[in-house]
Amino acid sequence: MNASKALEKTLVASPERKLEADADLDIVRKVQGGDVAAFDKLINKYRERVLGIIYNMTSNREDAADLAQDAFIKAFQSINRFQGQSSFFTWLYRIAVNSTVTHLRKNRLRSFFSLEAVREDDPVSKELVDALTDKTGVGRDAFVRELQEKLNDAMQKLSIKHRTVVTLFEIDGLSHQEIADVMDCSVGTVRSRLHYAKQLLKAELQPYLSK
Amino acid sequence: MKQNSERKITVEDLLRLKRAERPKAEFWATFEAEIRSKQLSAIVNKRPWWHGLSQAAAVVSRYQMPFGAAAALAVTWAGVHYYSPPSVSAVHSVAVTPRAAASAPTAALAATPSAPVALSTARSGEVTRVAAREDLPARDAVVLATASHITKAPVEATLDGLSKSPFAEGISVSLADYREPQAEVARRSVFGSDRDFESALAPARQAPSDPLARMDPAQERRSRLLAPALPAYSPASQRALASDWMRAKASSDERMYESMDRSSSDRMLVGFRF
Repeated sequence: MNASKALEKTLVASPERKLEADADLDIVRKVQGGDVAAFDKLINKYRERVLGIIYNMTSNREDAADLAQDAFIKAFQSINRFQGQSSFFTWLYRIAVNSTVTHLRKNRLRSFFSLEAVREDDPVSKELVDALTDKTGVGRDAFVRELQEKLNDAMQKLSIKHRTVVTLFEIDGLSHQEIADVMDCSVGTVRSRLHYAKQLLKAELQPYLSK
Repeated sequence: MKQNSERKITVEDLLRLKRAERPKAEFWATFEAEIRSKQLSAIVNKRPWWHGLSQAAAVVSRYQMPFGAAAALAVTWAGVHYYSPPSVSAVHSVAVTPRAAASAPTAALAATPSAPVALSTARSGEVTRVAAREDLPARDAVVLATASHITKAPVEATLDGLSKSPFAEGISVSLADYREPQAEVARRSVFGSDRDFESALAPARQAPSDPLARMDPAQERRSRLLAPALPAYSPASQRALASDWMRAKASSDERMYESMDRSSSDRMLVGFRF
């Protein structure tokens, strides 16, 4: 993939996403027509991504599970109000992000962090951990744990809006336009927040970065 | 910390590590069971009443322009259709003189059977009611006076329609008072015109007795200024008084000079008190 394609992917939604959106709309029409079981397909399709967003915003596994369930229930209750003017996943993401932001604002002073295990079946993450640690594997688990904690600390030092933008762009891979739709702001605001958040993260994670 | 020097680590790479943080398979079994129960309870439980309001608000917000225009038209039509100006008739307003207004920091309307139109005044927190003066016409109305301004409130009322009310009774009592022959002033506007009033009161008038009113100001000023220098300009009584005053002053001056000479010879300080 060359640089222009990568840049285009960051700016606008990919064609695959549009096909997904069309398929989602068909399922939504079925649910609106009374086929409640069809909603399970949407849950199974998006549960990991919704949970991932919420987990990376809250850094708490239990809260993330509860908030993800609530987001799906809210979407199910309000499915008749979905008009199809935006894609279903944008609408679902907006519900999840708004619920999470409300939860974080309510519990600003209460923060318990709990970590998920890093799955090293992902080749990219395995390669990254190998690059960061000694390939012999001595002290590898402890280092990964430490790195996770540092990442969580750095993310929690960001404001909620900056954290949301970083999560949606860097972790979930949404485009700037999709993030703007989810967060109900302009694309310029998304880019500005993203740039600022990365500067802060660089400062926080400096010991782990290459010179 | 040991880093592989062959690969450059960026913030994006570190954040990519967070993508690999995924729950285990058994977590999803629990997740699915919980969401199923929540889904069922959401179907069974009735939603609170305000959710209906929010749905209605969503519909309204979708068609806010037509709804707004219709509401504006309805309000305009209702205002034009149901609005009628108050049909009060014919009570004249009487202006309170500035002096009365100044003496009445707060005034309120009061109507009593004996005083049909009353002016309630309040000074320093105490409300006093001042009955309408007899020289005010009975059909004249009421003025609300406050400390800062005077508000004329022409309250119009038909006498026929008020025949049973205490207000009307008060008016009739006042009218009876005005019909008495002594109330010449009241006749001015109630029973006659201003011309009749002037002709009726003309014999009773007296010439002004104040001599100052007849004195020419220029002449008075000239005589006052020239009197000390030219005794002919001062009246005889004033001239006598002036001569007495001059004599007294001269004798007191002589006494003062003598005392000053004595004190200076004794080398003592003298203080003058005025």
